[in-house]
Amino acid sequence: MSITENGLLERDKDTMTLNMGPSHPSTHGVFRAILEMDGELVGTAKPDIGYLHTGIEKTSEAKRYSHVIPMTDRLDYLNPPGNNLAFCLSTEKLLGIEIPDRSQYLRIIHCELARIASHLVWLATHALDIGAMTVFLYCWREREEILDLNEEISGVRMMTSYIRVGGVAKDATDEWLRGVRKFIEHFPAKIDEYEKLLTRNPIWLDRTEGVGVMSRESAINYGMSGPALRASGVDFDFRKKRPYSGYGNFEFNVPTRTQGDVYARYLVRVEEMRESREILVQAMRDLPGGYYKNPDSKVSLPDRDKLKSSMEVLIHHFKLASEGFKVPKGETYVPIEGPRGEVGFYIVSDGTAIPYRVKLRAPSFMAIPGMCKMMEGSFIADVVAVIGSIDIVMGEVDR
Amino acid sequence: MTSEEIVEKIKNDLGDDILSVEISLGDAVVHLLPPALPKVCEFIKNDADLDFDYLSNISGVDYLDLDREPRFEAVYEFHSMDKNHSVRLRVGIEEENPSVPTISHLWKSADFPERELFDMFGMNVEGHPDLRRLIMPDDWEGHPLRRDYSLTTEDVAFSFNRDYKSELVKSKPPTR
Amino acid sequence: MGLIDSAVDALETEVNNLKLNAQEALDAFEHDSAGAVYDSILTTQLGKVVGWAQKNALWPATFGLACCAIEMMAMANSRWDSARFGAEVFRASPRQADLMIVSGRVSQKMAPVLKLIYDQMPEPKWVISMGACASCGGIFNNYAIVQGVDRVVPVDVYVPGCPPGPEALLYGVIKLQEKILNEAGTDSAKKRVA
Ligand code: SF4
Repeated sequence: MSITENGLLERDKDTMTLNMGPSHPSTHGVFRAILEMDGELVGTAKPDIGYLHTGIEKTSEAKRYSHVIPMTDRLDYLNPPGNNLAFCLSTEKLLGIEIPDRSQYLRIIHCELARIASHLVWLATHALDIGAMTVFLYCWREREEILDLNEEISGVRMMTSYIRVGGVAKDATDEWLRGVRKFIEHFPAKIDEYEKLLTRNPIWLDRTEGVGVMSRESAINYGMSGPALRASGVDFDFRKKRPYSGYGNFEFNVPTRTQGDVYARYLVRVEEMRESREILVQAMRDLPGGYYKNPDSKVSLPDRDKLKSSMEVLIHHFKLASEGFKVPKGETYVPIEGPRGEVGFYIVSDGTAIPYRVKLRAPSFMAIPGMCKMMEGSFIADVVAVIGSIDIVMGEVDR
Repeated sequence: MTSEEIVEKIKNDLGDDILSVEISLGDAVVHLLPPALPKVCEFIKNDADLDFDYLSNISGVDYLDLDREPRFEAVYEFHSMDKNHSVRLRVGIEEENPSVPTISHLWKSADFPERELFDMFGMNVEGHPDLRRLIMPDDWEGHPLRRDYSLTTEDVAFSFNRDYKSELVKSKPPTR
Repeated sequence: MGLIDSAVDALETEVNNLKLNAQEALDAFEHDSAGAVYDSILTTQLGKVVGWAQKNALWPATFGLACCAIEMMAMANSRWDSARFGAEVFRASPRQADLMIVSGRVSQKMAPVLKLIYDQMPEPKWVISMGACASCGGIFNNYAIVQGVDRVVPVDVYVPGCPPGPEALLYGVIKLQEKILNEAGTDSAKKRVA
């Protein structure tokens, strides 16, 4: 506003600035957007982040490799196993160690369960934002089953830290495997239930179709990844393109869409849950026997029952617990496919037991400028639909 | 293309602009200096064989404790969506007035990570359209991810005695 | 059936007690309506009734910060169902809430916002600090995290855990209810409203 010659206030623009967040129920965390509104339409959207900055990257520079793993859980807190896996893969590449087949499979089972759990939270909150309460309750029902499985195998519901450098924390029991089987048996019927509520629902279609469209080119240019990229017609999935951790042994499809709108992203994610279940079925069928971690006692903790009978094992355990393992000099980056897209740790090692630099490539962080671009020119009511469809997790945005 | 072919091609076509190439644990790595960055990026983006259309990540590294020259480094990770290969550019940056040219005109996705470089390492990203602090509050002092920035600023004051604790808190600088 | 019966019994006893208390207070007021007695007996007993009502209708503000917020959502959901304890009406606006569950780590940048939201809540209000981070900084003893949310707002109940399970949070809510009931009618409760 400015003051004119005759002393009257003159509005030089017809827009209104709307501050959304950082504490807003539908920004999925503490994300803040400053919206320049032109009536009902969003003119520009400026993101403001950092409200959850935790200093995890800096803290990791003062911890041993095995101590960083619990920190990675807390980055993307909907997908802890994926972060563990990304960190462990990078470390293992620097160490140059082999992982036995059984632990590869257990890792995959764990990651795919986490992918389903993460997508369930996404679907629940996304639907709630748009106004479908029932889906919210349904999704949490299934998520609780996965969390119970997590608790059974790792002792915690969410922050499992189950994947360790060299393998996994402990072997799966038959009972746990039975639990997973039971879950994958009845899960498809549950997805049908969600789809029955949403996929052909006219209100849902009205709110999502043609909203927040992003073309193939700009999706690549804006660095979107994961489902948001695939919904714009890019067929890129690290599990397929660069199979890590034994994903090459599995047969599954990578769902893609070309519309690039909120509805397409919804369809891709729902389809992905089915594919994850497909992977779980194959993993349970082919789960090989053998040891569940690399037997190299320089890297992985020895078995507990041997601890009381063997002096050598005790010494190894003591050394590992008090000094950790040394990682050769070098830098590496191994990308994997998380529920939100490309996750990877760029690790610089200086040859000691403490990483010199740990940097997370966070899909949500990279997606935020693109997400704000999608909001521009849409209605204010669609802003929550767009935010929900990108599925940001602020923990990994701010780190 | 395999990593070997990528570094071979970059070396042949851009020999003057880059410092060296290497294969590190199977990844193609190119070392270069800041002034050459936009040119190299433009080349690898538009070349039909390389076709690096996706900027995946920018990491800053501070080599203060390792006694390496130069002190800072910015590491760029690129993928090609169609060709499915990757390359890593490592740009060494001097300690005095650390600065690196922007590549956000080529990839929009460079916007946030470059601001992060500025915020966390105090690197000046030349030509960036909106260079402000990204994560830390605007009035924050220092650049947290530099090695000479201390990790903790205060000890944990934990006591069940409320009065004692409020004394403790009073004696510390107020939390923002 | 036995469970429900006993619950009904317990509830009836509680209501009867409260009725008796209120009756006592009214009687005392009628017999001796001097100001001092009015102040000490009537408001004390009435405060108990109010406290009993407050305890069973906690309205938390939706204030999800980090990982713990996911478990807070789980608490409100069908399996754990905080509605059983009258704390399920999550309000998006702090103006309509009287309980703030600080669920997660509070960064230096978030702390002023948190204070602002707390100030916007009407009295009486309570704070639960959920998780290790909110209680004492947790595993993040570093420059970015406020080492305990009690440096910014007064906390009534601390719930430890990383993240605390929904059952732990429910236990925290129950503890808070006990606290409200115990405090009801005392000076500290009056101060909250004043
Ligand atoms: S206590 Fe644990 S789960 Fe809760 S916010 Fe802190 S790190 Fe996350």
